[in-house]
This record gives sequence, structure tokens and C-alpha cells, in this order.
Amino acid sequence: MPQNEVIQDLGLDEYKYHFITEDEPVFRSGRGLNEKVVREISAQKDEPQWMLDFRLKALKIYNAKPMPTWGGDLSNLEAVLDEIYFYVRPQEKMERSWDDVPPNIKETFERLGIPEAEQKILAGVGAQYESEMVYHSLKKEWDDKGVIFDSIEDGLKNHPEIFREHFGTVIPSADNKFSAMNSAVWSGGSFVYIPKGVELDTPLQAYFRVNQEQMGQFERTLIIADEGSKAHYIEGCTAPVYSTESFHSGVIEIVVKPNAHFRYTTIQNWSNNMYNLVTQRALVHENATMEWLDGNLGSKLTMKYPSCYLVGEGAHGSVLSIAYSGDGQHQDTGGKLIHAAPHTTSQIISKSISKGTGRSTYRGLCQVHEGAVGSKSNVECDALLINETSRTDTYPYIEIEEKRSNIGHEATVSKVGDEQLFYLMSRGMSEEEAMALIVRGFIEPIAKLLPLEYAVELNRLIDLEMEGSVG
Amino acid sequence: MAESPTIEGPVAGMMEGVTEHLNRQTVEALAADEPKWLAERRLAAWDAYERTPMPTTRLEEWRYTDLSRKLDLAPLRPVPWEARSFDRSAAPAGLLDAMEDDREASGHLVELDGTVASTDLREEFASKGVVLTSLRAAVESHPELIQELLATQALPADLGKFQALNAALWTDGILLYVPKGVRMERPIRVSRWIESAGKAHFSRTLIVAEEGSQVSYVDEIGSDPLSSQTLVSSAVEVFTRPNAQLQYVSLQRLGRGAFHLSQQRTIAEKDSTLDTLNVSIGASVARLDLNARLVGLGANSDMLGLCFGEDDQHFDHNTSQDHVAPNATSDLLYKGALDDRARSVFRGIIKVHRGALGTDAYQTNRNLLLSEKARADSLPNLEIEADDVRCSHGATIGQLDQDHLFYLMSRGLPRSLAERLVVIGFLGEILSRLPLGGVVEKVTGIIEEKLHA
Repeated sequence: MPQNEVIQDLGLDEYKYHFITEDEPVFRSGRGLNEKVVREISAQKDEPQWMLDFRLKALKIYNAKPMPTWGGDLSNLEAVLDEIYFYVRPQEKMERSWDDVPPNIKETFERLGIPEAEQKILAGVGAQYESEMVYHSLKKEWDDKGVIFDSIEDGLKNHPEIFREHFGTVIPSADNKFSAMNSAVWSGGSFVYIPKGVELDTPLQAYFRVNQEQMGQFERTLIIADEGSKAHYIEGCTAPVYSTESFHSGVIEIVVKPNAHFRYTTIQNWSNNMYNLVTQRALVHENATMEWLDGNLGSKLTMKYPSCYLVGEGAHGSVLSIAYSGDGQHQDTGGKLIHAAPHTTSQIISKSISKGTGRSTYRGLCQVHEGAVGSKSNVECDALLINETSRTDTYPYIEIEEKRSNIGHEATVSKVGDEQLFYLMSRGMSEEEAMALIVRGFIEPIAKLLPLEYAVELNRLIDLEMEGSVG
Repeated sequence: MAESPTIEGPVAGMMEGVTEHLNRQTVEALAADEPKWLAERRLAAWDAYERTPMPTTRLEEWRYTDLSRKLDLAPLRPVPWEARSFDRSAAPAGLLDAMEDDREASGHLVELDGTVASTDLREEFASKGVVLTSLRAAVESHPELIQELLATQALPADLGKFQALNAALWTDGILLYVPKGVRMERPIRVSRWIESAGKAHFSRTLIVAEEGSQVSYVDEIGSDPLSSQTLVSSAVEVFTRPNAQLQYVSLQRLGRGAFHLSQQRTIAEKDSTLDTLNVSIGASVARLDLNARLVGLGANSDMLGLCFGEDDQHFDHNTSQDHVAPNATSDLLYKGALDDRARSVFRGIIKVHRGALGTDAYQTNRNLLLSEKARADSLPNLEIEADDVRCSHGATIGQLDQDHLFYLMSRGLPRSLAERLVVIGFLGEILSRLPLGGVVEKVTGIIEEKLHA
């Protein structure tokens, strides 16, 4: 009987990113969200007046908007928000050299394998710890070509014109309650500019870590891919497991100019006590392509629907979404595709796995505006249920105002087939191995689009999660 | 999705929809000479109506139908009950036309303005204990059955604003009761006609097919064009006991001016088959709430529907397939073809409850946009809480298949005729799945007529 070494070697049965770094932040706001906190954050960042005004206006919008009653269970969220720190500054300034990062933070990221990855496969790396980017670097060859890869704060300081032209235009503060919250208290995140015609052959990566108990992380990322450029941006997220709940609410705005090609990959593996409510949206111009690759594996509750607003003729948008919900987790994810110009095309492929008491929800919108002739969209959702207690939902919204368009949606729900299991077990696999193999096969169409390191990580996670899942 | 639909608090919605004519006094007047249990049930329903806020587009289920713009309750006076008889010589031509094809039936019933005017049931079935009668008569003749099943298990008043309104204000309706083992080959045909414009009509239907029985039921509701907005509310409750087989067909051909609210719930017990077909052609606004509940092991429900919209007609279909029991199956196929500025909404949900293992549930919605200004919204939802299930859904929205058109035109057909054939073929698929005698021809005829116009 062949031994599956990967499974044997892992021998882990808990969240591997659980480790707490002992440190003392440089500055920490009070608990809860109020005007004082917003002013403190703005002062800490030494911001121009317009940004403070922007934040204060967003706070008003946040307070005026009701808590969503759809999606996941947010009934306890207001109590959580009253207790968390909205801003925690871990060090005085951001570093450009890895050696200058404080040792405890450095150790954290070393344990997560970031510096190693930077040397091998990345064009640039940003690392956020609590509320601030602690490290940002870009390989010299890209710097020379005019690529900007910086913290969002430095983006505002050093490139005020292009920053202000785009900031808050893709996702207005009033878009939803949590985009309003982020607009009021944002801190950290990346500012990326890819100049005309520049094609990055390796990805940029940002890594987000929440270390402190009861804190909220509100990164804000603004990306502009200029005409004919091409790039891939990856974000990864982890946090240690505390008994209390934490909160993460990012806003990601992307402008993909004509003929550009941008891919944004998220591998979210927050600890299972994290609320993760994120707004991600791309404005896609003529003949440009935007691809969201969205992997949601961690968190207690994620509500995230990466969007493509296809505003230029011939624009293409796609969302590849993979969700894993284990015990007590709810992944409420999907995508939004807005066809606002002729001959735009889009697709969503969503795969989810629900195990134990986990719940995976696909929620999506496909909208074709009048005049968006010749638009095509196709949505496919597949859900796999591992246990009798698992749950899956599919909520697609399809709104079509243009007859010269072609829109389809398909979804299937299944459990791992007894025949499939029997076949593999008759070839000498244990039931657990067979289960892991089937699940890996199920997510393979998406996993193969990931950079190798992530694909390996995803497969390792699947193996890990399938342990003890049988029966 | 960007903004959250919110359910208003009870206080905000208190007394919404209470008008000069639709109020507690109207209910009390109706209930005055009724048995105590029924009077109490009406008043409890009225309480539910008063405390339920008027649905707004912030509610998921009403997202695409804005009642504040589409329905004005204020001028609507409920049609009072009065004894009526059916006089063929004085009957509206439209009603006679509709009845023309319905000769071959196990029984007939005619309802005018919400009041039953005539019933006849073949003697062979009457002698076997089949009951086809007006609901008012049934309150007297079958009080226990009515008390047990009217607005209790299937459509209780607290289900929603309009369920409550109908349960409080129904004037009359239909009871069909098929005893154990009785099989009726030919359908029961019901013709309902609305004459009074500018009024509110409330009618209920209760159908019970006992163990091992078999019956099909065709309900056709129609009217001439109505000069002012007319509310037509139909509440339909259908029960199939173990091993029973039932087909329910509803054909809606109301004139413009009608706001049709059709609320249907079917409850299928063990190994029974309960299929429905809803054809919506008429009315200015037609809202259908259809819930199929599979409560017995091995129950099966096929749910079919089609709508054909033109001008500024607005159709809103809200369906659910509730799998409570294991090993049950349901299969839904709804299709819409939309011309001019017509609009259709399909919101469907398959809900597999915990423990409903071995469920097979499917849901398909297909839409054809025939004009630049037509619009279709489709929300096919799934909620699955059991693992050993086979569920899928699909939705498509598009224009006429160009290959089909090209094929027909290459055979020498002019474009207009080819288009017509493709539309009829598209909608005809629904009819071929429930080929009840007379219904297929009738619906095909209506659609052809519309396409020629």
C-alpha cells in the first residue's frame, strides 16, 4: 500500500499561522470608532486637509448607514467594533531594507516565508503589520522603468496628483457601510502604478498580518495599470487565533486603462475569529482585462464580492473564486460584473467546499446595461459538501436590459461521490487520502492559475483539512 | 447587492394599507353571520395585515416590483358577496370563448367577480364522494375540512402582507375534494371572470387529493380590459396525500388594468406527485408567489411556468422548492418571452432542509428578449443544508437564436414568421412537459394570436 508522504509528513492539526509576536506598539488609538480616532489617525499620518475632510465625511456616511441584514451573521459585530482598536502603529517609519525592520516583526514575516519568496519569485514586496506597512521594496529593474510600488501613505505624499485623481473614485465612500468605515479609518495598503506598456514578468506581493488581539485592520489599496501594461498583484493575510474577535475591512480600487492586463490574487487565510468584510472593485477600460483570483480559506465570516465595471468597449473581466468553509466558518463570496459598454465579456467561476458546520455562499451580480450590445457573460458555480452538517447557498442576481447580449448562469451542488471514493480506495488509498485527492481535483481548475508556491500551499491546506473529515 | 435590503421594524409599518374601504369594519361585516371560528380567523388575519408593513423594494422578495408605484390601494373597494347565478345568454363573450373548449371535463365551475355562480360535477364522481363546490357553501357543508385546512397549513395569514389580506377578506372561492382512491381521467375546469373594474377581488382555492387519488385541475382567470386599476387576489392551497397524483394548471388572461396577485402553496406527502403549470399572459402587473413543499418521503413536484409579455406588462415570479423530507424530487422550468417594454422577474429558491438527504432538485429559468426595451431579471437561488443531494440551477437571458432563425429563413420562411416559430418553440417546451388535453392548444393559440398582433 503506497504511503502518501505529504499527508504523513504534515502531522499538523491546527491553524499553522497561530503564533503571537510579543511587542509594544508605538501608538495605539482608543477602542471603538469615533471622530477623535479618525482625527488621530489623520494626524499620525500628517495628512493634507482634503484627506482629513474625506475621512470625516466618510465617518458620517458610516454612521448613517444601517448594518447589512443580508449575507453573514453580523448581529454581534457592533459589540465587537466597540472593543477593537482601529489604529495600531507598530513602528516609527516604513523600512526599505529588510535589515532595518524591527527584529520581532522581521521574525514574524520570516516565519511566514516572505523574505525567501521575495528573493525567488517576486518583483516587489510590501508587508503590513497591524495598521502600517512596515516594509516595502521593489526590484531595481522595475523601479528604473517607472513602476511605483509603495505604501498608500507614501503614494499620497509622493504622487499627490495621480493619487487624488483616482482615490475614492472607483469605490465611493457611500458604496456600502464598510467602504465608508474604511474610508474613515484607512491605514496601510499599497499604491501601485504601472506605466504605459510596462509588463512585469513576476508578481508584486503585499502581505497582511494582524498580530495584536482585538484590532481592526483597514488597508486601502489603489492600483493604476496604465495603457498596455501588464502586472500581477498578490495579497496574503494571516493572524493568530485569539479568543476575542478581530476585524479586517479593506478597500481595493483598481483602474485598468485601455489594453492593460491586471490580475489581483488574494489568498486570505485569516484566523477563524476574524470578520473579513472587503470591497474590491476594478474599473476596466477599452480592451483591457481584469482578473480577480480570490481564495478565501480563513476567517470567521468573509463577505467579499470582487467587481469588474466594464466601462470600455471590448473590456473583459473575470472572477475566479475559491472558498473553503470549515467548522464555524461562513464564506459569503462571489463577484459582480457590470457590463456598461458594448462587446464586453465576463465570467465568474466559483468553487466552494463546505465541511463540518461550515457554510459557503455564492452571491453574485451580473448586470447588462442598455446599449451594452454584444455583451457576453457566463457564471458557473460548483459547491462540494463534505458533511451532513455543511451548508451551501447560491444567490446569483442577473439583471439584463439589453437584448443583444448573451448571459448564462449554472450551478451544481454535490457531495463527494461514493463511487469516486470506492474507486480510489480500491486502488489502495485510505479514505482520507481519496477524499483529499477528490477535493484537490475539484479545485484544480483554479489552483492551477496560482503561482506555484500558492498552489502547493492550497493543496497542503486541503490535505490538512480533510484529515479526520471522513465519517 | 451594493445596498442592504432591510426589514423595517414593526412600528414603522403599522396600519400600512388600511384604507377607507379596506379596514376592520369591512372584515367585521363579512364575518358577521359566519361561524365563530371563521370570524375569528378573519379578524386574526386582519391583525396580521395591520401589523405587517407594506413590502418595499428593500425586501429581497420585492426587490424588482415597487408596490408604491405599481399599486394604489386607496380607491379599491372590495366586491361584496352576493348570490349569483350563471346566465349563459348574459355572460361576457370572453368568458364564453374561454369556456368553449372546456366541454370535456369531469366537472365545471364558474366564478364571477369572486363569487361562484355555477358548479356541475359528473354524477359518477359526485356519487364517489368528490366535492366541487363554492367555499362559502363548503363552510356549511364541510366545516371540519375547511376549519382544518383553510389558511392554516399552506397559506397562513402571517406568511405575508397579501396572504393576510386575502385570508381576512376572501368573498368566495372553490373547494375540490377528491376522496381516497378516486381517479378522474378528465380535468376539473374552472372559469373565473372579473367584471367590475376598479375593485378588489379576493378569492381562495382549496384542493385536497386524498390517498391514492388522481385528478387534474385547470383554472382559467380572465377579463376584458379594465378601465381602472383592479386588484385580483387569488390564494391557492393544494394538498396531496400519500400516493396521490395531482396536476394544477393556472391560466391567467386578465385584461390590462389588472394587478394580479396569485399566491399558491402546494404540500406533497409521501410518494405523491404534485405538478403545477402557471401560464401568465394578461394583466398589467402579475405577481406569482409559488411555494412547493415536499413533506413526505419520495414526493415529487414538477413546476412549470411561462409568461409572454408585451407593452409595459410586468411579471414577477417568486418561487420556492422546499425540501423538508428525504428522497423527494422537484424540477422547475420557467420561461419568459418579452416584447416591447415588458419586464419579467424570476426569483426562485431551492431550499434543502437539514436531513432531507437524497434530494434531487433542479431549477431552470430561461428568458428571451424580443425588443430593445424589454428587460429580464433572474435570481435562481440555492440553500442547501444536507450533503447527499443533487441540485443544480441555471438561468439564461438572450435573444432569438440566430441559427434557428437562419435555418427557417433558408427554407424560405419570411423573417417575421420564422421569429414567431422560434418563440412558439421556445415557450412550447413548457407545454409539452404537461400535455393536458386542451391546455396546449389553448395556450399555443393565445401566443400565436399575440405574435400576429
